[in-house]
Amino acid sequence: MAITSVIDRLRARIGSAAPPITATVEAGHLKRFAEAIGDNNPRWLEEAPPTFLVALAPPSMHLAEAEEYGKGWLNGGNRFEYVEPVKVGDRITATGRVADVYEKTGSSGSLLFIIFETEYVNQHGRTVARLRGTGIRR
Amino acid sequence: MNPSVGDELPELVKHPTTRQLVQYAGAQGDFYEIHYDQDFARSVGLPGVILHGLLKASFLGQLLTDWLGVRGTLKRLEVSYRGVDQPGRPYRCRGRVTKVEGPHVELEVWGEDPDGNRTTVGSAVVEIK
Repeated sequence: MAITSVIDRLRARIGSAAPPITATVEAGHLKRFAEAIGDNNPRWLEEAPPTFLVALAPPSMHLAEAEEYGKGWLNGGNRFEYVEPVKVGDRITATGRVADVYEKTGSSGSLLFIIFETEYVNQHGRTVARLRGTGIRR
Repeated sequence: MNPSVGDELPELVKHPTTRQLVQYAGAQGDFYEIHYDQDFARSVGLPGVILHGLLKASFLGQLLTDWLGVRGTLKRLEVSYRGVDQPGRPYRCRGRVTKVEGPHVELEVWGEDPDGNRTTVGSAVVEIK
């Protein structure tokens, strides 16, 4: 059955890391991000606000093959862990992986859950933050 | 002043607009059409374009950093998206201290739509200097 095979193929990717993405925190990007979230604290001209890292590298892979399941994506949740501040000029490498894939059937039908984890490491090799996200296909 | 269990955070009310969703899509790099294309959003069963979950997480992040200021550091922010929210409706962000252990402070945070539904619920950990 097609749906079963989609889940099997996605489950086969659990634990494997996507190619790392490296990007520099630019002042202009920080400014645009702070404007977009409507937070005018001048602190964010120099430092990344709490959710900024998702803008630096994709927080979750909208896995093309998962799109065979259901008709749309929903974001189920996010967990950010902060180890040290991220400042303008920092060069951040994000490495994401699929942590889990499972299906749940409820009253409104079946949903596919994909758990993503991303680790962000700075130019000094230190982990600055971790992000866990739940992508849902419905 | 050090936080105590039961302290409520000063409420933050945001007024998201479709324009803001487009701005956020560009700033985050999330161009999923449910956030700016009404026809597409309806075609996948939504009432219209909806706020990015991560934009609502950003609002709760602001609630926390506005309250905390330079007194301490945000260590963790965890949110669950329980409902969809549409632009043009004010979004109330609220929070409360649930645990204090020396410099370690835990909070519950949530975002409410105008009908009082908690469409985003979460928790946070901060460390007071």
